[in-house]
Formats: sequence, C-alpha cells, structure tokens
Amino acid sequence: MDSVDIGLIVSGFMLAMVVLGVRVAFAAAIAGLTGLVWIFWSKRGYDPEHFFWALTVATKTAGQVPHSKIASQALSLIPTFILIGYLAYYAGLTKALFEASKRWIGWLPGGLAVSTVFATAGFAAVSGASVATSAVFARVAIPEMLALGYDKRFAAGVVASAGTLASLIPPSAILVIYAIIVEQDVGALLLAGFLPGAFSAVVYAVLVVLMAMTFKNFGPPVRGFTWWQRFQALPAALPIVFVIVIIIFFIYNPFGGDAWGTPTEGGALGAFVVFLMAMARGMRWAQLKDALIETAKLSVMIFTIIWGVLIYVRFLGFADLPGAFAAWISSLDQSPMLTLVMILMAYAVLGMFMDAIGMLLLTLPVVFPAVMALNGGENVAAADSAFGMSGTGCAIWFGIIVVKMAELCLITPPIGLNCFVVAGVRPEISVQDVFRGASPFFVADALTIAGLIAFPSIVLYLPGLLGI
Amino acid sequence: MAGVSSVLEDDSLLSRLDRGLFKIEEFLALVGGLAVFSLMLFAVVSVAGRNMFNAPLPGYVDWIEQIMPLIAFVGISYCQRLGGHIRMDLAVGALSGRALWSVEFFNTLLMLVVMLLLVWGSWAHFDRSFDWNSPMWSRDSSVDIRLPIWPAKLLAPVAFSVLVLRLLLQLWGYGRAIVTGDERPVAVPLIEDAATQAAREAKQVSSLESEDGRVRGSL
Amino acid sequence: ATTWNVSLWGKRRAFTENVEKLAELVEKKTDGKFKLNISYGGLSKNKENLDGISIGAFEMAQFCAGYHADKNPSITVLELPFLGVDSLEQEIAVSKAVYEHPATKKDMARWNATLLMPSPLPQYNIAGVGEAPEKLADFAGLTVRATGGIGSAMREINAVPTSMSASEVRQALDSGVIKAAAFAPHAHMSFGTVEIAKWWTTNLNPGTVNCPVVVNTDALNALPEEFKTALLGSVDEALKHYVDYYNNKTMARWGPLLDEKGIKRVTFKEEALAEFREKVAGPAAKAWVTANTARGLPAQELYDLVESTIKKTAK
Ligand code: NA
Ligand code: NA
Repeated sequence: MDSVDIGLIVSGFMLAMVVLGVRVAFAAAIAGLTGLVWIFWSKRGYDPEHFFWALTVATKTAGQVPHSKIASQALSLIPTFILIGYLAYYAGLTKALFEASKRWIGWLPGGLAVSTVFATAGFAAVSGASVATSAVFARVAIPEMLALGYDKRFAAGVVASAGTLASLIPPSAILVIYAIIVEQDVGALLLAGFLPGAFSAVVYAVLVVLMAMTFKNFGPPVRGFTWWQRFQALPAALPIVFVIVIIIFFIYNPFGGDAWGTPTEGGALGAFVVFLMAMARGMRWAQLKDALIETAKLSVMIFTIIWGVLIYVRFLGFADLPGAFAAWISSLDQSPMLTLVMILMAYAVLGMFMDAIGMLLLTLPVVFPAVMALNGGENVAAADSAFGMSGTGCAIWFGIIVVKMAELCLITPPIGLNCFVVAGVRPEISVQDVFRGASPFFVADALTIAGLIAFPSIVLYLPGLLGI
Repeated sequence: MAGVSSVLEDDSLLSRLDRGLFKIEEFLALVGGLAVFSLMLFAVVSVAGRNMFNAPLPGYVDWIEQIMPLIAFVGISYCQRLGGHIRMDLAVGALSGRALWSVEFFNTLLMLVVMLLLVWGSWAHFDRSFDWNSPMWSRDSSVDIRLPIWPAKLLAPVAFSVLVLRLLLQLWGYGRAIVTGDERPVAVPLIEDAATQAAREAKQVSSLESEDGRVRGSL
Repeated sequence: ATTWNVSLWGKRRAFTENVEKLAELVEKKTDGKFKLNISYGGLSKNKENLDGISIGAFEMAQFCAGYHADKNPSITVLELPFLGVDSLEQEIAVSKAVYEHPATKKDMARWNATLLMPSPLPQYNIAGVGEAPEKLADFAGLTVRATGGIGSAMREINAVPTSMSASEVRQALDSGVIKAAAFAPHAHMSFGTVEIAKWWTTNLNPGTVNCPVVVNTDALNALPEEFKTALLGSVDEALKHYVDYYNNKTMARWGPLLDEKGIKRVTFKEEALAEFREKVAGPAAKAWVTANTARGLPAQELYDLVESTIKKTAK
C-alpha cells in the first residue's frame, strides 16, 4: 500500500473518531501516531519483529511535536489576545462603546441596531473571540432595543451576527492560528482582516437600515442627544482607540515612519493598557485571578488542538498526502474558481457541525496547499496566477475568506454557537427566534464573501502597504 | 461543540480523589494564567527597553519560547476535568445511560492510550536535551542567550502525566456508571445540550458587572 | 530499492544544492535503486533535525550548529568570530578537518549521527537601513540581528545585537525593531533584507555559521556496500557543484542586485578592521576554549586544528 493510501485511510479514521465524540485534539493525535507507526512499519515490510521499532520511532517523533511547535514566539499572540478580551470586560469597555455609539448614530433608521453593529465592531478591536462578544452585547444591547419596541428576533439576530466581527477585526485568535498553520506573516494577516471586518460591519449596517425602513415595526431611531452629550460619551470608550492604535502601529506605521515593534509586542502592550484601565475601574486580585484562569483554560484548549493536529500534520508530511491532494485538485478539468467555490461550499457544510478553530486546523494542512496549487503555486506572479494575485497574496486572501466562512457558520443551524449564546443570555428569546433573526445576516455574509472574492483588493490593500 | 460541563460530587472515594486532583489542576491552571500575564510584562519591558534606553531585553525571544510551554501544557488536565477540550458532541449528545457511558469510556480509553504514548515520547524528547554531566545539565540550548531548554521540555511529560491521572479517574467514573446504570454519575463531565451550555456561559457573562458598574464574577 | 528520507527546511535554494546534487548523483550511480527522498520541512522542524536523526525517523538531515550550541559544542568552534576564512573552498577544508576529529565524531555519536559534508557559507556581512556607517564607531547603538559569535562581535563595537528567527527579520526591519541584519548574501536575498536595505558592508567578514549534513549512523552501516560507495563517493562532486552554484549563481547576482537596488557598499579601512579583530577574536576564542574544556571537549586542540588548517589553506 503506498503512503498516500495510508494517508487517506488514517484521515478517514480520524474523521470517524471526531464524529464519535473523541475530543478533536486527541483524535488528531491518535490518527497521527497511528499513521506514523503504519508508515514506519511499512518501511520494514510489516515484519512483526520490527513493530516495536516502528512504535518507538513513531512515538518519539510524535513526542517532539508538542514542545517543538508550541515554543514559538508567534503563538504567544493567542493567549495575549484572549487575555485582552477578558480584561476588556473588567475595564467596562462594552457599555462605554454602546453608549457612545448610541449617542452618535442612534438617529439612523434602526438606530440602536446600527449602534450595536458599530459598538461590536469597536469591541472587536479588543476581543479576539466571537462567541464571547455576542454574549456580552446580548446583555448590554438587547434590553435597550426591546425597550424601544424593536422586534425581538431582529434584535437577537443583530447581536448574534455582529459578534462574528471579532474574528476578522484584529486582534483575532483564529487569524493568528491560520497564519501559523499555513506559515504566513501574522502581521500581514491581522492587517488584512481590518478592511473586510469594517466592510462586513458596513454591510450589516446597511442591511439594518434597509430593514428598518422597510418594516416599520423593526426599530425606531433614537434622537435627542446634544453634541455635548455625544462628546461626553467618548472618554470612557477611549482605551479602545489606544488599543487599535497600538496594535496597528506595531504592525505598520501609516505615517510612513518605522512601525513601533512586532505584532507580538503590540498585542501584549494592548493587553497592558486594558489591564491598567481595568485596575483603575476597580479590578482586584480576585477578578484578575478569574480572568487569568479563564485565559489559561481557553489557551490550553487551543494549544492542545494545535499540537494534536500538528502530530497528524507530521504524519501527513511522511505520507506526502498534501502534495498528492494538491496535484489531484489542480489536475481537475474545471476552472480553478469553480473548484475554490466548491471548497468553500464544503466548509459551509462542515461548519454547520463543527467548531471554527477545530475545522480550520483539521482541514487546512490538506486544503491550503491545494488552494495554493490552484492559484499556480507559492511563487507564482500575479500576472500568471489563476486568481490574479501572487502566492503570498492568495494565502492571505484565502485566509480571510475561509475565516469569514467559519464565522458565518456561527449563525447557521443546527449548532450555530453565537445564536445559542444569545438565546441563553435572554431567556425571553428562543433559539429558533435567534436563528430566524440572524437569517438576513446570513445572506449579508454570503454577499460579503462574494464581495471579497470579486474584489480581492478589499483584503489585500492593507497588507500591500507592507510590501506584500 | 462542548465547552464547560458540570461535574457532580459526593462522599465516595472516587469523588474525593476527583476533588483532590482538581485542587492540583486549579493550581496548575493559575500558573498557566500567570505565565500569560508574564508575557505581557516581558513585552512592556522589551519595548520600553528598546525605545527608551536603546537596550532591548537580551534574549526576549528565547524567554518567550521558554514561557509558552508553561501556558500550553500545565492546564491541560484542568481543561479535561471540566470537559473543556473541544469535541463534536452531536452523536454522543443523542445517547444516554449505559450506551452513553460505554461510548465515553471507550473515547476516554483512546485518550489514555495516546497520552501514555505521548508521556513516553515527550519524556524521550526531554531526555535527549538533558545530560547529568554537562554544565547546567544542558544538551540543548536556545539560539540567542543559550538558555538550557530541558526545563521547558520537561513540562510536557509532567503535565501529560497529570492528565493521565485525570483520565484514569474518569475511566473509573464511566466504568462505575456502566455498572450501576446511574444517569448522573459523579467525577465525570456531564454533557449538556447546547442550550443549557449557552445559558451557563451567559450567566457567567451576566455575573461580570453588577448594577453599579463594579465588576465581579468571571467570564 | 532503498529510499532514504532527508529532512531539510525552507525551500530549495543555494544552501541546499549540495543535498539536491547528492540525491541526483546517488540515484544515477545506483540506477535508481537507492533514492534520497528530500522533504522541505515536512519531516521535522530545523532545530529538531538532530533529534529526528537520533530517533531514526529519517536517515539524512541538515542543521546549523548555532541553532543549538549545547547539542553540538564541538562544531561551534567553526562559528567563532574572525577566524579569517575567505573562500568557500577554505570553509570546506576547515569544516572537514573539524568533522574528522575524533572528539567531533564522539560529540555527534551522541545523536547516532555521522557527519557527511558541510554546507559552506561565505562570511556574513551586514545590511541595514538608515544612515550607512562609515567607521566602526558608527555601529554604536545600532540594533542588528546577529546571533552567536557574530552577535558577540557586534557587542564589542557597541552595536545592540537582537534575536529573532530569520523569517522575522524582514518584518523587524520594516518595523524598526532592528536597523540591520547579518547574513550571508543568499540569505539577504531570500529573507528580503535587500528589498529595503540602504547599505551593505563588503569586508566586515565577522564569521559565518556552520551547517553540516549528517546521516543516521545505523542506516549508513546497514547500506549495501554498493550504495554506501555511491553515497560517500558523491560527496566531493556534490560540494563542487554547491560551490560553483554559490559562486556563479548567487554571488554573480549579488553585485548587480546591489546596484539595481541602489544599496551603498560600505568598505572599512584595514587598520580599523585589524583592531576590531584583535579586540574580538582573541577573547571569544579564549572564552570558547574555557567553556568547552569544562564540557570535557579537547577544546584547545580543536581550536588549534582550525587555526592550523586555515594557515595551511591560505592563498
Ligand atoms: Na477581534
Ligand atoms: Na453552525
């Protein structure tokens, strides 16, 4: 049996384990280890006397992976980004943002909902995780919308959907994970998420305004704030601006000078600013300890999947499966764009049942080289490529699209975690209500993805400033 | 996907062992959290040193590489105790009683096997970097300031061994549930449907801010 | 047929041409019965290549001594600053002399590894942004990416050596974290420093890194005589190809590239350099000998071997 067959069988075995409820990190590690034993044993002709040798070599090879892959400076962004999010709650940033948004743009049709979208987008600049963002705004924004007579499904749908912005607008844990798995520049990917995140927020806002204008009972505007009140609301939201400026300036200096450091340092300094703010707002050791333990737990969960999957990836390296899959995909007798769209469709289906991070980690080692091959290879020039962009450009563009795709799955039934969380925060709103309320935003997201595919420069403009 | 689940307790030996181990796991998780906090301080010192004193922290990258395993490994068992490692529970969520406990037992057994192997493999990785007869016992050092790497490598087999203990307790718990047919056994994470889970996560968020805007509770 | 897995990293480049050529020669000489299956990063991380050899996960690998001095203290003698090596041929001769020393063999035997050949690199030089240094005093306060012996040399002229992996260097230059980086020319090209550099030092020549190719000793011993001969007998030709490739493809591209990008060549006066060398080389060698004698290596002997080989091969 050749190594590609072994690769396929072991991958099937892994998916079976995942479906049976084996925790993703460990299913991947088991599959990787099994595959390594198989590959090494086959090298010795399946001689029973050499089985223990194969087991030893495979185990020692797999045993290197956790430390070897985790001891990396780039990965240190993930816990930092998670910590920022937790500290931001303690710094009272959510309420401050919503209040400021409301006073400034509440006058639009569906004003409170538009405010929610932009407040969420602002909060996304300090929060790296979608689900937590939706949970917080469900508590802050929905009661006010309901008090003003907003349709409850609509209100819930806005919050569930807007939460997904947190994964595109930097900081974003999932973009860091993508960058590391596909070995691209973390700073470039974070920068690339900014415009699509903003674009996505604008699409949401336009949709809200249109819906509020079409259906009169959806949401009246909020008027009557004086300019003085508007400016009064700003200082409390100011730390967000600090964090955005710090993170952006540590990746790229828009004024042409040197950037201030690396993204890793930017993330950590952002966390430090929010930490000081939270201290000033009365956070003490008990709350800090809770935040630290929660950060540790979420980090360990993510890192365990990362090293588990990387054991499987190590096996794939020995089996050369990604190479074979890429060769097969690029040999298909159809347009590369059609193949890409089919890959994205497959993600939409998979995302209905799986968590975003787990899904990307499990599939990217095989899918990413295939997408790169579709475009014409890692070193292809934009002019010779299938999608009209360089190899690096394609890696970044695909990353943003696939992350947006994974986020879209947070508002689709049957699992759509953001919807469950919103329904959980508001007992008066059922899960079905939230799913129904989120369905227009599903359409908006599909349009956004189509927009990102049709106009790659939305994704690639900012990283282009870095010379990519 | 499963997030946090609840673990029941009673006076049995199993439950007492479960809580005893949980104390250790909680301590290790806090160590991991403090390690995250230290990342932040390291960066502040590094940036300040570079920009204000033109003296970058020597070996900044080397230090981060030493801290990362602390964050990534030591809390692994804490996460397992709470059922926090991601999985797809669509299929197991449809089961109950002995059928459910049997599947959980089997899944946990698979995890135990792979973790035992990885304790061996990661120990071997540590062992290759450790030498009683070398200065600082080091047989592998970092690029820049040549820190010995064995302490960081040792964290993996140690943390994985704690997880092995946790998995043994969970196997015991599931095994006992298979025998007794108990619907709500102690010492194992109980699956909650997505709605219950969400409700609890939401409650955690709600407890964050009391009415006067002062913070309490956790997320 | 026998297939060996070979663990390299990055992409195919000048630096990997010795292995690529070796694979080609071996396959030809054995009529395809012995193949080297080269993988770029799929089998191991570069810092763990020696571990992989020791485990037996693959049969051949390349690594750099400076990645992990404590794994291979004997070879780090070749990375001392200002040894005075001035050609790739000479770098090969010195490397081979050290590789053949019993202490080095014993050092590598801890990893079940046999040294096969070097991947000789020319002297590092520094490319940077901002104002070009005209004299060594201008290096004071300059943040520069330099590791190992080159890093210590930089510290001697009050530059500020900073650490990061090669792949982060471009971003760090862009972001002002560093102002300059020390690399061999091929690495200045592949890690993109030439894209933004304003100047390059032509004759600082502070030293280089040593990156051997090793094979798993058991696998080597298990090879049929015919294959073993084909492998060992191809090393010199593979190295010759490597040197030609480096000199004729990489170095030939380097000069015109400097002109094309408008990168200023900075050349220091010989007296200044002599003083610099004196200040750095002696103390660094002494520190190396002391530290490695403590490890039980015949450190002075290795250092003397390097010195005498350099003298012998000097033009
Ligand atoms: Na974000
Ligand atoms: Na879903």
